[in-house]
Amino acid sequence: MAEEFSTALQEPLKGTSSRSEEGRMTRLIDHFKREWQIYAMLLPTIIWFIVFLYKPMYGLQIAFKDYSIFRGVAGSPWIGLEHFNTLFSNDQFIRAVWNTIQISALNLLFGFPAPIILALMFNEVLHASFKRTSQTIVYLPHFISSVIISGIVITAFSPSAGIVNTVIGWLGFEPVYFLTQPEWFRPIFVGTGIWQEAGFGSIVFLAAIAGVNPSLYESAVVDGANRWQMMWKITVPSILPTILIMLIIRIGNIMEVSFELVILLYQPSTYETADVVNTWIYRQGLQSGQYDLAAAAGLFNALVAFVLVMTANTLSRRFSRTSLW
Amino acid sequence: MSGVNLSGIVKAYGALQVVHGIDLTVEEKEFVVLVGPSGCGKSTTLRMIAGLEEITAGDLTIDGRRMNRVAPKDRDVAMVFQNYALYPHLNVAENMAFGLRIRKTPKDEIKTTIADVANVLGLTEYLDRRPADLSGGQRQRVAMGRAIVRHPKVFLFDEPLSNLDAKLRTQMRAEIKRLHNRLGVTSVYVTHDQVEAMTLADRIVVMNNGSIEQVGTPMELFNNPANTFVASFLGSPPMNQMKGTLTENGAKVGGVEFKVNGAVNGNAGRDVIVGIRPEHVTLKPSHETSALPIGLDLVEPLGSEALLHARHGDNSLVFKADTEGDIDHLSGVKEVHVPAHVVKLFDAETGRALNLEV
Repeated sequence: MAEEFSTALQEPLKGTSSRSEEGRMTRLIDHFKREWQIYAMLLPTIIWFIVFLYKPMYGLQIAFKDYSIFRGVAGSPWIGLEHFNTLFSNDQFIRAVWNTIQISALNLLFGFPAPIILALMFNEVLHASFKRTSQTIVYLPHFISSVIISGIVITAFSPSAGIVNTVIGWLGFEPVYFLTQPEWFRPIFVGTGIWQEAGFGSIVFLAAIAGVNPSLYESAVVDGANRWQMMWKITVPSILPTILIMLIIRIGNIMEVSFELVILLYQPSTYETADVVNTWIYRQGLQSGQYDLAAAAGLFNALVAFVLVMTANTLSRRFSRTSLW
Repeated sequence: MSGVNLSGIVKAYGALQVVHGIDLTVEEKEFVVLVGPSGCGKSTTLRMIAGLEEITAGDLTIDGRRMNRVAPKDRDVAMVFQNYALYPHLNVAENMAFGLRIRKTPKDEIKTTIADVANVLGLTEYLDRRPADLSGGQRQRVAMGRAIVRHPKVFLFDEPLSNLDAKLRTQMRAEIKRLHNRLGVTSVYVTHDQVEAMTLADRIVVMNNGSIEQVGTPMELFNNPANTFVASFLGSPPMNQMKGTLTENGAKVGGVEFKVNGAVNGNAGRDVIVGIRPEHVTLKPSHETSALPIGLDLVEPLGSEALLHARHGDNSLVFKADTEGDIDHLSGVKEVHVPAHVVKLFDAETGRALNLEV
């Protein structure tokens, strides 16, 4: 009796559920028919994601295979975690991981705040034409190719004719072979990155600052705050959600040190501090033909980045109510 | 004396002058409301008092001290903004303490002051909440609390209730009035809502196109508007205005002659505008009234009263009538009766009120 009653209760519910499923599907199809132009606009992005981000994932399996280009991805035999064992017993790979982490940490420490500081400074400039000119000047390096940027850096730090060594010479010191000395690679690399990207990166923060309600400043002015106090007590807290979002994204890219710039600036004498995971993958994968080992290193890189971005997002959500998702 | 005095205040943005030489004195403890349509210069005037806009010409004094070049923080004014201007990253207590912290008030004093003001405003249980977690009315109270904790000489309100719904606005209006009665701080309040102006003000300043049209108590302005603009701006619905001519016995509109108070004395034939407040007519004739035939278009019941939308000649008119619990008897109204003492006359050319000798 109780069973019958229970079944009788469930039947209409089941019907309602399937009806609502059908209704949802019908609504979705109707919506698709009505708004097909919008979906059409979305199509190129979806295709791009599929072709360049999802399809290559098929090839990731070679990280667990003894890959041969003659046998192909599917035909190569599975070897489990052997490539990962090889990676973690390889001193050069371990060194590359540490170099990546150290360069990224320096980038995070100095490179991440730079555009924020720049945006805050631009926000304080009252003279409109000076503001426009200086913004254009700091944005410019972003649009210069890394090859030219590295050329400028190599020339600037050249021991014979570089501006830096010329100044050092004027001060009575011997020229320094900056780009051949491992201890100088990281400061030069991080500094170059700041010079190239800080200006352009400040646009995001300037946009966030532009979104701050002007009456907050007016209220603070009436309350007696000066510009410095307004910057610290209103502007910075107001753009904090943007800062945190950008930080999470940055942390997600912590294993992605600017590959081109490292390749262009490093040399065997500076591998000790300059060789990062991506350059190591490039040498192993493309130059030595060990695609499977390189794929394993790439997968390791991606996993670390995934864990980092998840952790950063969770922490940010917990402590500041701001998160990427 | 914490009064505010504006003398010949002008505001111009380049060649565009938006406030044209305002003269106004706000007495100590007085609640003055600047009212007018959008773009009339009322907010600009308030912002000049606050120091948020530079004064192009004229003199501003607060408490007897010239303030034209004094920084906003040194004017000892507190301002409540239209959109509350609460800091979203700070909780209620921190928002209220902001100005005091900037002024390096001792922590104990800040704590006590905030507790007192929060108690007055009914915010004690919300002190730890952020603005996003508060209702519109609570946010408005926090904004007022932030102004009150500083114990300023002058409160400036820039349309503080315009973001609230009608019910909350009525409630907050009463709270502001009570608070002013309790604190007795000189206040200048800007609004475009004539009901707010009428209910809150000790004196109303009606502004239009950057100039003051009239200053007076709410009832002075309601009963004796200085011109057709004030007559049409104050009152809901606004005063009915009809083009007419003065006669030996009163004022004539079309074929209707209105009895008026006072003597026309040789002004007969002068073109005038005849003003009649919607609520000043009756449906029953008497020997002091003039009958105005109307074509009734629509009856809008408001409860105890109804609005009669009607026409007389080319004039669209609105009158208020008691419903006496039913509107059926209003649908047959063919004329309204206008007592002589409620008929207002304005010069047809200048729009200024005509004062006939009584």
